[in-house]
Amino acid sequence: MNLALWAAKTGLDAQNTQMAVISNNLANSNTTGFKADRAAFQDLMYQNVQQVGAQSTQNTQYSTGLSLGTGVKIAATEKNFSQGSVLQTGGTLDLSITGQGFFQITMPDGTLAYTRDGSFSMDQTGNVVTATGYPLSPAITIPVGSQSVTVGSDGTVSVTAPGATKATTVGQVQLANFINVQGLQPTGNNLLVESGSSGSPQVGAPGLNGLGTLQQGSLETSNVNTVTELVNMITCQRAYEMNSKAISTTDQMLQYLTTNLS
Amino acid sequence: MDRGLYVAMTGAKQIMQAQAVNNHNIANSNTVGFRADAVAFTSQPIYGAGFPTRVNAVAGNAGIDFTSGVLETTSQPLDIAVNGKGFIAVQGADGKEAYTRAGDLRVTESGAVTTVAGQPVLSETGPLNIPPSTQVTIGNDGTISVVPLGSPPDAQSQVDRIKLVNPPTADLQKGDDGLLRLKSGVKAPTDETVTVTSGVLESSNVNAAQSLVNMIELQRLYEFQIKSINSADTDEQSAERMMLTS
Repeated sequence: MNLALWAAKTGLDAQNTQMAVISNNLANSNTTGFKADRAAFQDLMYQNVQQVGAQSTQNTQYSTGLSLGTGVKIAATEKNFSQGSVLQTGGTLDLSITGQGFFQITMPDGTLAYTRDGSFSMDQTGNVVTATGYPLSPAITIPVGSQSVTVGSDGTVSVTAPGATKATTVGQVQLANFINVQGLQPTGNNLLVESGSSGSPQVGAPGLNGLGTLQQGSLETSNVNTVTELVNMITCQRAYEMNSKAISTTDQMLQYLTTNLS
Repeated sequence: MDRGLYVAMTGAKQIMQAQAVNNHNIANSNTVGFRADAVAFTSQPIYGAGFPTRVNAVAGNAGIDFTSGVLETTSQPLDIAVNGKGFIAVQGADGKEAYTRAGDLRVTESGAVTTVAGQPVLSETGPLNIPPSTQVTIGNDGTISVVPLGSPPDAQSQVDRIKLVNPPTADLQKGDDGLLRLKSGVKAPTDETVTVTSGVLESSNVNAAQSLVNMIELQRLYEFQIKSINSADTDEQSAERMMLTS
């Protein structure tokens, strides 16, 4: 096959994937706790047509070689875990993490998932659950009829029972952190799960061991920078056009060959 | 058969290879730290019986364009760009030292610092490893400092230093994996004057306008060659006709 065509084709593919990543980021620019993705490009292997320094005759060597690159690929998509801005909502169970760490969520199959989305609510029995209805881990239950719920910056959840003057502690929010947060696998629904490359979770109370602190009544917004995404989109579109032009030019060359030598 | 036909055919074939190199550059116009390949043609006289009147064109790498790419601010602590000249030392799949300008680094679960392609980044003594930590900072001279897991944010500890080198670019060549290596096969010594900036990535240095102009030029050159083949064919046909009438 013609390498010139295929090298340009890989460019189209990679730009197409990049565009999908940008679109997903833009679509999630209002998703609570969403972390922007970035596509990492990498050049594909090179084919050595003529080795530099090879013997051209017994006494002489080629001073230049020819290695043909075969295009580009998307090596990985990586999440940007920088802090999103904090939006004050006033919601009792709206929690945002300032700093590192993730809320732990118990999935229906009993495994744990991790999220930065702190828009929690209560189910019918008073359990603190995510918008999807998955409970927070360790589970926290707000007693029925509680007058006020307070979540401290260290994760302590306390409530005031009707008629009581003092608040009682009903639970403690714990955060998890990972050595390689980039290695967490996004599964949708604002959730990430542990993978082979993320390492195991280091769980602790907010504010300790480098974990972030909690803020009640606020939510962390998406960290998608729309301006960056739009600039990336322009770059991506132009790169796509250039690759497309490369394909059509190579095609014209081959067409010229077939029409003139038939 | 006129041997000029074969000279033109070789020309067309070599130009198509040059177009492949150009297309590869265009495909990598968004690849972090990518250095464009240049291609040039050299004359290769054909020796044999008689005079060497036929000269084939042979495409060859005319080196690598080492001008710097545009810097993009990403604010990611593990993204680094080499300022001016110099390279980051990494370990290729063959276990040998190689060099790259792509500074989008990451940390694996075992604490190894690698490139996106998974090649371990090297320090003066070997592959770089960092302990479990909550924060990683890369200094201007490549020094990595971390806040170990379980320590307060002010407990910075210096871990190691990324090996930065600056060998003469003329001595470098690209391997099959796209990494740069010294032609002599030896390791380049650490250069203390090379600095990096954290939170920035260097883009590809492929020049869009130049690549497109090259593309057009190669296309037209290709057409010349095909035209020559065509002419050789026409000449041959005329000669045949002449033989028939006589």
